[in-house]
Order: sequence, then C-alpha cells, then structure tokens
Amino acid sequence: MALEKHINILDYTLQSLLRRKFKNIGIIMVFTLVIFTVSSIIFLSYSLRQEAHLLLKNSPEIVVQKMRAGRHELISTWLMTEIRGIPGVSDVEPRYWGYYYDSGVKANYTILGIGASGLENNKVVSGRMPSPHEKNVAAIGRGIADVRVIKKDLGSILYLQAADNKWMNFNIVGIFESDSGIMTADLIVISKEDFKALVSMPDDTATDLAVHVSNEAEIPTVARKIKEQFPDSRPILRDEIIRTYDAVFGWRSGLIITLFMGALIAFIILAWDKATGLSAEEKQEIGILKAIGWETSDVLEMKFWEGLVISLTSFMCGIILAYIHIFFMGASLLAPALKGWSVIYPEFRLAPFIDFYQIAILMSLTVVPYIASTIIPSWKASITDPDIVMRG
Amino acid sequence: MIKTENVTKYFNRGNPDEVLAVNDVSIEVKEGDFAVFKGPSGSGKTTLLSLIGCMSRPTSGRVIVEDRDVSRLPERFMTEVRRNTFGFIFQQFHLIKGISVCDNVMLPVLPTDIKPSKLRKSAVRILENLGMSGRIDFPVQKLSGGEQQRTAIARALINNPDIILADEPTAHLDTHLSEEFLSIMRNLQQQGKTIVIATHDPLVYDKDYVSLIIEMRDGRVREIIRN
Amino acid sequence: MRRSTMFFVFTAINLVIMALLYIQSHISLSEHHILRKDIKEIVKTLHLTDMVLATDARYTRNPTQADLFSAFQDYPGSIEHFPTGSVIPPPDMDSMGKLIEIKTDGP
Ligand SMILES: Nc1ncnc2c1ncn2[C@@H]1O[C@H](COP(=O)(O)OP(=O)(O)O)[C@@H](O)[C@H]1O
Ligand SMILES: [Mg+2]
Repeated sequence: MALEKHINILDYTLQSLLRRKFKNIGIIMVFTLVIFTVSSIIFLSYSLRQEAHLLLKNSPEIVVQKMRAGRHELISTWLMTEIRGIPGVSDVEPRYWGYYYDSGVKANYTILGIGASGLENNKVVSGRMPSPHEKNVAAIGRGIADVRVIKKDLGSILYLQAADNKWMNFNIVGIFESDSGIMTADLIVISKEDFKALVSMPDDTATDLAVHVSNEAEIPTVARKIKEQFPDSRPILRDEIIRTYDAVFGWRSGLIITLFMGALIAFIILAWDKATGLSAEEKQEIGILKAIGWETSDVLEMKFWEGLVISLTSFMCGIILAYIHIFFMGASLLAPALKGWSVIYPEFRLAPFIDFYQIAILMSLTVVPYIASTIIPSWKASITDPDIVMRG
Repeated sequence: MIKTENVTKYFNRGNPDEVLAVNDVSIEVKEGDFAVFKGPSGSGKTTLLSLIGCMSRPTSGRVIVEDRDVSRLPERFMTEVRRNTFGFIFQQFHLIKGISVCDNVMLPVLPTDIKPSKLRKSAVRILENLGMSGRIDFPVQKLSGGEQQRTAIARALINNPDIILADEPTAHLDTHLSEEFLSIMRNLQQQGKTIVIATHDPLVYDKDYVSLIIEMRDGRVREIIRN
Repeated sequence: MRRSTMFFVFTAINLVIMALLYIQSHISLSEHHILRKDIKEIVKTLHLTDMVLATDARYTRNPTQADLFSAFQDYPGSIEHFPTGSVIPPPDMDSMGKLIEIKTDGP
C-alpha cells in the first residue's frame, strides 16, 4: 500500500517530537492557550451577538426621542397623531420608562409604565401583569426579586420613593422568570398612571415614542420624514440598536484580545524564532537523513507532519476546551470583561451558536502559518548537499 | 564500478576563503575492491569520498558510478543513487540520539512502502550478524564507541548497498576495535561488496587484503598502488 | 501500538468530541429559552430595546438610547455607547436605505 511510506515518516516524526518532549509539550501548551482564548472570545461574542439579533429584532422599528439643545427630553404625546399621518407608519405608542436607584441594594432598576395590556398567557411570566389603569401593583424581574435585601416574591410589597418624597407601595402580582432574564432581570413594570405619579411626569408627555412600520424597507424613509418634520427629534432605528450591540461586543472582544496581547506576542515570537532559523542540531539531523538516503521531499514531509501534529493537536484541544468553558462553565474566565458586570446580573445560559466561518479563519490563521513556519526554514537545509555531515 | 575523470572540487569558489580541496583527480575503483584513500589530514580524502558517494557535486570533471555519470544528475536521482548504491559510515557515526539502535538502523529505509515490522526484521538480522543482539532496543547514546560504530555499520547495510564508504572509521577506536572493524569490512568484501575507506591509519592500509591504495596530498593523487 | 496509530486515534477522539459538542449545541439550541416566543412577546409588548447586560450604571443599561449622558448623539446613526461611539464611525447616510440583515428564527 502506497500509504505506508507516509505513515513510516509520521512514526519517525512523532518519535523525534517525543525526543524533545518538554520543548514540544511547552509549545503545544502555549499554542493551545492561544487557541483557547481566541476561540473562547469568538464563541462568547458570537453567541451574545446572535442572542441580541434574535431578541432585538422584536424591538420597535423606530424609537423617536425628543431633543432640546441636544439633550434628551420628554416628548409630547400630540406628536403621535402627526407621526401616524406619515405614510408607512402603522402605529405609534408612547413609552414610559426611566431608572430608579435603590440605595439599599446599590442597584439601578428600570421602571416601565404600561398603558396597554398584554402578556396574558405568557409562560415566562408568573402571576400576571398590571392592567393599564390599575394602581399599586407591579410585575418585577426575577433579578430584583432575588436581590432585594428581604426576598420578594408574588404577594410581597415593594416600596419605591416617589419624586415628591412620598413612599409608594406596590403589590407584586407578577414576576418575569429568569429564562427571560437577559431582557427583564431589572425591570419593574407598573401602570402608566403609577409611573407618572412616581416620577411626576407631566400629562401629555412620554419618555419616547415607539413607531411601528410594517414594511421593513420603508423604515429609513419614515425615519427621515420624522426627522424632517420634527428637527428636534431623534429617530433610532432598530438596525442601529442591533448594530450597537454588534459594536459593544466587538469592542469588548477587542479589549480582551488587547489584554491577551502579551501571550499572543510571545506565541508569535516563538513561531518567528522557528521560522527564521533551525538549530544546529536540527540542521545536522536533516543532513544525516539526507546522507543516508532520504529525499528532500521526505524531509519536508517529516517537517510537515511535525507542524501538523503540533498545530492540529493544539487547535483541537483549544477549541474543545473553549467550548466547554463558554457553554458548560458559563464563560467563567471571560465573563467579567465580555458580558459586563452589575449588581443585578441576569443568570443566563448562553445559547451555543457556533460561527464556523470565524473558526475556519482562526484555523487558517494559526494552523497553516505554523506548518509553514516549520517547513520553510527546513527547505533550505534540505536542498543543500548533505556533505556537511561528512565534516566536523 | 566507480570512476572519476579529472574531478576538481572548489569550496567557496570566488571568495577570499576559496579552497581547492580536490584537484584534477582521475581514479578507478573496481567491483570487489578493498580500496583505501590514504593521506594526511586536509589532503582531500573526505571531499573525494563525498563526491563519489553523491553527497556533493564536482566543480568540474565527471564521476561515474556503475556506468552512470552522476555528476550532473538532478537532485532526486542523486538521492536515489545514493540510497540504492552506497552505505555510509561517518567518522562521527552520526547516529540520531534519543532513539533506539534498531530505529537508527531502520532509518534509511523508512521512506519506503515496506511495513515497519518487516524493516525491523531485517534490521535485527543485520545487528545479530554484527554481534549486537543484546543491544537492539538500547538507546544509542548509551552505547560504547565500538557498539556505536557497529550500529552505524548496520545502518549502512540496511539498503543492501553494493559499495560501502567509510571515513576515518578507526579514528575513535583502539587497536582491538579497529581490527574488529576491519574484519567486518573484509567479511563484507568477501560477500561481494566494494569497500572504500578514507584513512591515515597504517593499521588499515597495511592490511594485505587491501587491493587498492590511493595516496593523496593537497587534493591531488600522489600515487596509486594496486596489489 | 504504532505511534502513528496512537496519533490517529487521538485525532479521531478529538474529532468525535467535536462532533458530539456540535450535536450538543444543536440540541441545546433547539430547547434554548432564547428561542421561546414568550420572550419575544415580552420584548414586543413592552417595547424593550436593550439587554440587561450591565445595570451598574444608567448609561450602560440602555446603550442604544440617547440620553443626557450619551457621548455622541449629534450625528444621526452614531452609536450611543461610549467608548464604542468614539471609535466606530456612524454609517454613511446614503446607505441608510440598506438594512442590516437580521437573521430570522432559529439557528
Ligand atoms: N565545506 C567546506 N568548505 C570549505 N572548505 C572545506 C570544506 N570541506 C573541506 N574543506 C577544505 O578542503 C580541504 C580538504 O578537506 P578534506 O577533504 O576534509 O580533507 P581530509 O578528509 O583529507 O582531511 C581542507 O583544506 C578543508 O579545510
Ligand atoms: Mg577527513
């Protein structure tokens, strides 16, 4: 069988790798670490990005905010009628939301006032949602329910300090369970009337407006028309929202890679060192092999195997460890930098989306150059006449 | 069997450190010869040996091995001739450290489509013939000098070559081991192989079975003696 | 066993593990809550625009929404999230007509 020759050469390659056991194990470990880190980042940021895409494509097509002197301000609700008149707009709804800092827990909550009902049969919501005009009831995220100093659950009372220094109490009638945590962990949903009372929001205003456009292709046109009619408004497109998340995870990945630069550079130096010269010992070994009858192609094949064994082993181990790290161990090593931190942190299981394209690029940027850097310097040694081994 | 015609070899031609190592050498070694290249250090013996053994090419002149002009062969064919015709025994043995005696002996024939079990069988047979049966899986760096040389001989024999080339084979051996080496070579000659040894050791070239002595000095042939 | 055989076995084991992980990822995705329509319904009904990835400060809670503290909100389309907005330029307004492709349901 014609394969036997190649397997024999592979046998010898493995034998000579084992001869320099510590050096080669060291290389494999550094190499594995590089692959592990980079692919961990790829797995984690791709997974987060995919989740953002999947979830946020349900966001309003356009959010219209009002600006005064370049700063965000409450928007008048009479704008709604005008915007409804723009062709392509199917509906406009006001949004009432803001933040509430709880000094006891030292955490920010997001407070949302709703003016319409919904989510009656939602399986992620335990209990029910406040109805639009109901007073002193709230639905809260599981994150808040768990983090409050005194554990809250359905039926407990939540106290919030209103803008006029009075305390308002809310009966917890619903909880967003942790499956939805990535969108709801810090939410407190109350009725629109309660919200306005809590923050003393004037009548006929809203935080901003959600504009629905049924034809995707018309979204930018509608946004442009809104901007033309109301120069003090700022339409935010859903695509911009998604793009922001791409960018957020992008710069966070970049941050980690920067932190990781030291190891990366060490690895590049290692590969460079290999690529730029053979040790005298390696040169002599090549000379001996040629002198006793190996062809140039046999020597190069041996070097190919050497590069392949080291880089493939490292690549596979690195990828497997990265997968386990990200999707079984919750990205414990990277989470602080990539996922962000906070007092109320949703406990979420990452969805194992795998970006084969990026993995393939990673492979072609590591395995291929490594093999090349083992073969190329041997090239010169293996095409020169082997008579050097006759001397000295 | 081996012929050189006006072979000249320069090293570093055109540079200030140019050396004329072999100068206009024409010799002939016949099949079954026990030939010795004799001469002081630096006289060009090793260089001539490597030219004959297809390890390097002459600057001018021709080298003919088994009726083939090898001096202008492309690299691949030179390797082929080298592998199929010659067995080399180097002055420093040049065994690969860290692997066993048997693996060293099998090395020349690894890049062939023969199963390793078969290769091992022939390696073991050769080693046994050389009295190395107790050292087959021994790491080479732990061998004595004589054993290392016998491993090197076994490695030279694994291709079943027609011609054995040895460079200063007795330089690192005492008299007893040198005699032993020579008797092995004599044995091989009697089996029909051609032996070529480069040496300045009288113990070698004074042997009565040496059939051809080529004495060299400063890269030139000084005297050819046929017994 | 020959060393080459051991290497092939080692490689094969790795490939099998990778294949198993790939299958695992599919199974895990298919039952992953992120794909539940309940969660999408919440996002839609409550008009949510941001993920709860950092509640440590108000300016990190809703990175897509302009606010008093947003770093760059003048140029339309500029990203509201610092330091991203200072590094990544806003898109060309001429190309705003083209939509970023959004993957539809499922992996
Ligand atoms: N690769 C080389 N480069 C430069 N000079 C060499 C080289 N090989 C041999 N020489 C020189 O060629 C001459 C002959 O060397 P060599 O053939 O080794 O002689 P011997 O084997 O008889 O001692 C010496 O002067 C040696 O220094
Ligand atoms: Mg010499």
